[in-house]
Amino acid sequence: MEKRKNKKIIIKVSDLSKSFNDNIVLKNINFKLFEGESLAIIGASGSGKSVLLKNIIGILEPDKGSIQINDTEMVNLPRNLKEKILLDLGITFQHGALFDSLKNWENIIFKIANKKKMNNKQGKKLAFSIIKKLGLQPEILDLYPSEISGGMQKRVAIARAICGNPKILLFDEPTSGLDPVTGSLIDQLIKTAVRTVGGSAITITHDMASVFRIADKVMLIDNKTISWSGTPKDMFNSTNAKIQEFIKPINSEFLLND
Amino acid sequence: MLYLFLNILGTTGKKFISFIANIGHFFIFFGSAIYWTFKPPWYLKKIFQQILDIGYFSLPVVGLTTFFSGMVLALQTYNGFTDFNSESTVARIVLTSITRELGPVLTGLMVAGRIGAKMAAEIATMRVTEQIDALGTLGTRPMQYLIAPKIIASLVCIPILVLIGNTIGILGGYIIAIYKLNFNPSLYLYATIEYLQLIDIIQGTVKAAIFGLIISMVSCYFGYNASKGAEGVGFATTSSVVISSVMILTSTYIITALFFG
Ligand SMILES: Nc1ncnc2c1ncn2[C@@H]1O[C@H](COP(=O)(O)OP(=O)(O)OP(=O)(O)O)[C@@H](O)[C@H]1O
Ligand SMILES: [Mg+2]
Repeated sequence: MEKRKNKKIIIKVSDLSKSFNDNIVLKNINFKLFEGESLAIIGASGSGKSVLLKNIIGILEPDKGSIQINDTEMVNLPRNLKEKILLDLGITFQHGALFDSLKNWENIIFKIANKKKMNNKQGKKLAFSIIKKLGLQPEILDLYPSEISGGMQKRVAIARAICGNPKILLFDEPTSGLDPVTGSLIDQLIKTAVRTVGGSAITITHDMASVFRIADKVMLIDNKTISWSGTPKDMFNSTNAKIQEFIKPINSEFLLND
Repeated sequence: MLYLFLNILGTTGKKFISFIANIGHFFIFFGSAIYWTFKPPWYLKKIFQQILDIGYFSLPVVGLTTFFSGMVLALQTYNGFTDFNSESTVARIVLTSITRELGPVLTGLMVAGRIGAKMAAEIATMRVTEQIDALGTLGTRPMQYLIAPKIIASLVCIPILVLIGNTIGILGGYIIAIYKLNFNPSLYLYATIEYLQLIDIIQGTVKAAIFGLIISMVSCYFGYNASKGAEGVGFATTSSVVISSVMILTSTYIITALFFG
């Protein structure tokens, strides 16, 4: 806690509530993401993790509450101003959301190509410089998303999110459906982005190994709200029943000594 | 009894209100789409792709339908008006029916079936798979990137398709008149040219442009507002074809009444 004192707040969510008709999904969510911090969000399926992320990026409007990104209030912000802030964010969606009418390399450089004209050769070169960090082969660049495997699509989506080196990463289950080796490659990437580039990250995940690798702080969404938060190590001492359920399947000795 | 009555009233009222709300919703979409259609920058590559898709690849269906309609018209006119089976009657009826009505309407309906369904399915799939959300987070306005090119291309292509369809339809009539009804080719052609009216062409082109607007707006609207799941895509597709076809047939009456009524 001490070392956070002077750190800049990157994202601040206050009193956020969201429901769909009668279905209350989130109630009074409060948290902060500091500069250089990697935050993991865990929670049962359907607990509202993706809904929280979509509120932060403005795809869903909260019923009440405030969301500040770099001190700018996002709720009810005019579209053109919101857009400017979103450009600094690297976002992946749970199901990829790759543009299926564009080739993989066009997907990856989409945001950059929108701002700056590039010929195909430059574009592919830029795309390749990113995918090689993700263990992908250059052959996939000229294919369409529908022509590569699910795990490859996942990585293309991550490549699209990190293209242009955004300072804030928001990842919805980036490692689900990946083999452990590739999964840890993605974790490595998130960690590098946070540690060496000074970025900040929010990662939604079900993968506890991943939580221990990437997170400085863990937040549990349960019963519509943040019912627990702490460091990954705090999880082992927690009396919260849900947290215990999450760590039960893993061999704590092994991970603690890692 | 009273309960049943109130219940029916309530349901009908609810349906009616949601219908009005939907119309309002559509016009808001319409206004926003028009705004983004005229606002630079334009995605020229996207517009070009759409023109190819809507214009060029619709040529076979449009050509085929108008060609056979021209042939049928010539044959029917000949059989129906045996008293006046002169070159000039057949030529004139074929020409006027096609340029005023059949050319634009058949082209409109064909394009609504082919392109409207495709546009709606494409946009609805993008909605359902969160691609539209992703577009918004990657520095693009979905309206400008996705919808505007389709509207521009429809406005450009459908009038041109109608002009081509008209020509092919008249040719269909000519072929029947000459090879089946054994009319004199030069008399038939002369009559066709004589009765060719600029106002008919203008009216047909205006219709075509309005049909283009209807097809692209309705399809994009249903696609853009599709609800989740494969069902949402199917609903968007069928609704857009049905609604744009009905709107084409309704508006053709209104435009005809305005021009000739
Ligand atoms: N667009 C929407 N309209 C209506 N309800 C929604 C919508 N999006 C999400 N929900 C509801 O919100 C709840 C939380 O969904 P969410 O996708 O956030 O779960 P999640 O925690 O991400 O789960 P998972 O781990 O399975 O991805 C669910 O009950 C879902 O039905
Ligand atoms: Mg989710």
